[in-house]
Amino acid sequence: MMSSISTMLTCHWSARRIQRYLDADPAALLDPAEVQRLEAHLATCEKCASAAQEYRGLRRALLGWSRRRRPDPAVTARVRTAAERLLAEDAG
Amino acid sequence: MTWFGKVRPAAPGSRGVSSAPTESTAARQHAFRTFVEPEIEVLLRVARTLTGSWADSEDLVQDTLIRAYGGIEGFDGAHPRAWLLTILRHTNLNSHRRQRPDLTPQITDLDGQRPAFGVATAAGPEQTVTDRVLDDSVETALAALDPKFRMVLLLIDVDQLSYAEVAELLDIPVGTVMSRLSRARDRVRSNLRSNPEFRRNR
Repeated sequence: MMSSISTMLTCHWSARRIQRYLDADPAALLDPAEVQRLEAHLATCEKCASAAQEYRGLRRALLGWSRRRRPDPAVTARVRTAAERLLAEDAG
Repeated sequence: MTWFGKVRPAAPGSRGVSSAPTESTAARQHAFRTFVEPEIEVLLRVARTLTGSWADSEDLVQDTLIRAYGGIEGFDGAHPRAWLLTILRHTNLNSHRRQRPDLTPQITDLDGQRPAFGVATAAGPEQTVTDRVLDDSVETALAALDPKFRMVLLLIDVDQLSYAEVAELLDIPVGTVMSRLSRARDRVRSNLRSNPEFRRNR
């Protein structure tokens, strides 16, 4: 009983940190002790490990979706040409 | 451990590269090439997310570049992307072009325009079909999101901006970025769960 309550608490604790852990964004890094605790939990908790897998899958699905919608290279080329024109005009 | 694989180049200023140029045209041009030109593609992607179309994105980025060039002498070289995103935001707010607070129609519109943007995958036709099935679910899930949440999700997971960059761009606190991101991901995740391709690939 005690151990299942403690697992639940850890799940709750982990759920609030999984995305920050996966993102590793400089503005919101977990501290090393949190990383260690989270990794230990993910290694043993099916539910939280599966949530982490889903976040990774979501990221992949979004990237795949966006990769198939790249900008027309002509758009990029036109903008680069416009940038060069700016520089040339400044040079007179 | 990083699975999302964001790679961020160090800000040029942080390596002690010379700071803002002074008078000469050559110095302005050098600063523009050093700080601005490498960010053009990021700006186009972000502008696409903000405006909802490549055509508007092109106009917005061109206007942004003009402003950036005008202000380059006052720029200290420290965080070019953040600086450019701020200019992009102001340019977008001040533009007279139609504001598009909601991306839904554009997300759906993409369907018809797909060939114009090219299919960037070298995978076989079978892969394309399964991709297509998953893409349709992704689009449906994105369209169901509150635009404020969708914007943050796209800027971070698709355009690969950092939390701080998105906070700067949208003029909201980092904590708000994180809570919107988290909610957006959870909604899309539960939407996608019914798609067998998502369960298989996750």
